[in-house]
Amino acid sequence: MSARQQVVITGAGVVSPFGLGLPALFDGLRSGKSAIAPIRWFDASAFPAQVAGEVPCDLHDGGICHAWLQAALAQTVPPAMQNLAMVSTLARYAAIGAWRDRKTVFGLLAALEAWHMAGLSTGPATLSALPPDGIGLVLALGLEQGFLQDFGPVFTGSAIDWQVVPPRPGIVYRAEVDLCAQLLTDVLPLHGVQMINVSACAAGGLAIAQAASLIERGAASMVLCGGADSMLNPLGLGGMSRLGAPSPRNTFDACRPFDTRRDGLVIGEGAAMLLLESADNARARGARVLARVLGHGSTQDAWRVTAPRSDGSSAARAMQQALAHAGLPASKVDYINAHGTGTPLNDVAESRAIASVFGAHTPPVSSIKGAIGHLMAASGAMEAAACLLPLLQDVLPGNCNLQQKDEQCEVNLIGAQPVLLAGVAAAGQSACDATANAADAPLALAPANQVGVGDPAQVAAGVQVVLSNSFGFGGQNVALLLGRAE
Amino acid sequence: MNPHADTIVADAAGNFPAQSLALPASGPLSAPAPTHTADPDQPSAAVAGWAWRTPLGNHSEIILPRLLAGERAARINPRFDASHYACTLAASIDTAPGMARQRRYLRRMGLYACDVAQEALAHAALRSGEPGGSGMCTPERLGLFFGYGGLRAHWDDLMPAFEQQQADADGAWQHGLTLLHPFWMLQHLSNNAHAIAAQELQARGDGATYGGANAGAQALAAAIRALAVGAVDVALVVAYDTLIEPEMLVELAARGVLNCAREAASVAAPYAASACGFIPGEAAAALVLQRPQPGSLASVQALAAGDGSAQEAQAATLARLASKLARPGDWFDGAGLAESGFDLLERQALARIKGSDTPLTCTLSAMGQTGAASSLVQAIALLELLQRQMLAPVAGLAQVVLGPMQVLTQATPCSARGAVALASGAPGLAAAVRVSLE
Repeated sequence: MSARQQVVITGAGVVSPFGLGLPALFDGLRSGKSAIAPIRWFDASAFPAQVAGEVPCDLHDGGICHAWLQAALAQTVPPAMQNLAMVSTLARYAAIGAWRDRKTVFGLLAALEAWHMAGLSTGPATLSALPPDGIGLVLALGLEQGFLQDFGPVFTGSAIDWQVVPPRPGIVYRAEVDLCAQLLTDVLPLHGVQMINVSACAAGGLAIAQAASLIERGAASMVLCGGADSMLNPLGLGGMSRLGAPSPRNTFDACRPFDTRRDGLVIGEGAAMLLLESADNARARGARVLARVLGHGSTQDAWRVTAPRSDGSSAARAMQQALAHAGLPASKVDYINAHGTGTPLNDVAESRAIASVFGAHTPPVSSIKGAIGHLMAASGAMEAAACLLPLLQDVLPGNCNLQQKDEQCEVNLIGAQPVLLAGVAAAGQSACDATANAADAPLALAPANQVGVGDPAQVAAGVQVVLSNSFGFGGQNVALLLGRAE
Repeated sequence: MNPHADTIVADAAGNFPAQSLALPASGPLSAPAPTHTADPDQPSAAVAGWAWRTPLGNHSEIILPRLLAGERAARINPRFDASHYACTLAASIDTAPGMARQRRYLRRMGLYACDVAQEALAHAALRSGEPGGSGMCTPERLGLFFGYGGLRAHWDDLMPAFEQQQADADGAWQHGLTLLHPFWMLQHLSNNAHAIAAQELQARGDGATYGGANAGAQALAAAIRALAVGAVDVALVVAYDTLIEPEMLVELAARGVLNCAREAASVAAPYAASACGFIPGEAAAALVLQRPQPGSLASVQALAAGDGSAQEAQAATLARLASKLARPGDWFDGAGLAESGFDLLERQALARIKGSDTPLTCTLSAMGQTGAASSLVQAIALLELLQRQMLAPVAGLAQVVLGPMQVLTQATPCSARGAVALASGAPGLAAAVRVSLE
């Protein structure tokens, strides 16, 4: 086997409850505030769970408004990206009701932002320079959206009469599982390997790991990867509510990762996409590198369908695999972005897993789910994108809503507010653009913060290596190691 | 005006230049033209065991004779009363799946998936001389790769929750969602079969669940890659899907891809002049894979790709994938969409790769379209046929419409060592699988 290719990230795109774009995510995380709010796009006032991490957008006929999408596109990418073919394709998808599936819109916007940030276009300049093996697509997608409102008109007595003409043309009853992938393939020249991962909450992290693996072994030189999900619809929220997974609080701080008072997750929605490529390819085309993918690991609990292994052993093995893959000792990790759902079982099991790998003095740990909610299939990808904040700006996100640390969670938890290193813009100010030369900012240690941040000398060098965990329903575990660009 | 400019600019009146309107109907550009040489870097894996549940039967000794006889599994839909649907025929699995307490979160196709997972692993263990299966690998080195076609939601189960819903879903919770079964979501999660199979088989290695109409091929490709990089030592690949659900029939009929014959005998086969749609089917299939090794029976390769939504793109993408895998002497197992336009494009595209005289059959003509399970079903069929040195006919095909490729209308001896199967999903992504005897 030939030498393993190094994998770099050259583009990132995000649609989150904090708004459109990677800078909006960065700004939100730097603010230390929560984006959790009462659900707006449908009446959830009678549901047990009434708050969510909702992406602010305009609606039309039960779906995202096409005009809103057009405005969002104008905000996300330059006009040159939107050639006639794209405009025509988007109009076609709008006509069949594709925007009723919210995650499809989010995935599109995130993908285009990442594409543009990577210096790619949709014109001949890019198309003529495509790698021979094409650009791949590895996508994590959530459960298909079911459209409750479509069933009402087709009842006869107490049964669905499927012979009744559907209440609308185009997409009815349920969106296809790969609708977002179809759209991206129609809009962008993605003719390489294509994989659609539906491994629930681990899917996003797995997608990035799988994309990196393709590049490492030379099966692809460029891959667009990430995840999109939205369970924020009546049927999705209803199903989750009946399962008892969401917190019964309906406040902005309902999700409290690692807090002794935690009592469930909060549903979030959004999308995050990364453009991965081989370091050689990036260098050859002069692409700006945001970060590196150093390693990854994936395991399965094979334990219980509805609960993780309480000792965290399989999760620990995923982290150990990632470190081994990267050839790094645990001591080199500067920050851990935890899965941290805010559920009673996950957070303590994850803490045990982290402690078993990193020992008594773990790196600083935080989860961003308190701020934006649990984005399900997109969570791992969103959290990987969030890890660009420490790597680009040396800001470690806080554990939003953490007030009373659960002593069973024996890890080095960051407090509720982000850890800011001197020389970086303080909380409340606008964050640097993600592509700004953050490395130029002078760095110095801040005064002692709520929690220790490890070896001062190591921290003074800036955040070099971060670990991101994703643990999915049924016991799927994935760990990603990302590194600062060289 | 530079017709190749990235930016198309309207004039002051808002009109675009006429030249700039000559753009592809969909997608920015067509897929690259297929090459004619197999890609030597495509990884492969050794096949160690397999199992399947299909409309033609549950075991190879039942299925293969029926396949070679050109039998079709299509009949009046036995799963539910479809007499007033556009498509009244279906090809379904006749036997009931196994059940166990830990499988209580699974629905019918997920149960079949767990059945074939266990059976395939037992088959592989038996073939390896380790009946207990303990010698194949440790749990941490056993990977599980699932292909899932999509939410087949059994909407009838939701009647209490749906009955009082408003047309705009207003007040959804109090109008019935309170009546949802607490585990409804668990029963329909995309990776629940994966999770339960992992628990039953103690598969603790790498793996994932892939989704979409070509998910089986995706899972197969991912498993082969995982073996190649040493992430796992044994990979169990499972795919399952059914198109015989009411909402699927409604959706596919609306797309115009289903056959609307009222009798099975009237169904025009793929590559017939009167081909007018396929029969919806279902299947669950599993393959056990190891890294290539001496003494293995056969090897498998797989590719999955997006093909946009235009028919031309579909055929071209299939040909592109096929060209990466096919080797001299291989025969083909076609996608079997039974749509005259697509069928001809498919044959033309394949002929450009391997020549007009290359044999072409179609497993899915017998089984019905099996969605995400197609690539694994085809792979097992290819393996069995290659071993028997026989090519199966296109089921139900009496006369081939004019066109390239040697489309088979009867079982034919063939000493080829390899074959390539194509699947286009219904609808969805493209897939190609190659099986070769060692």
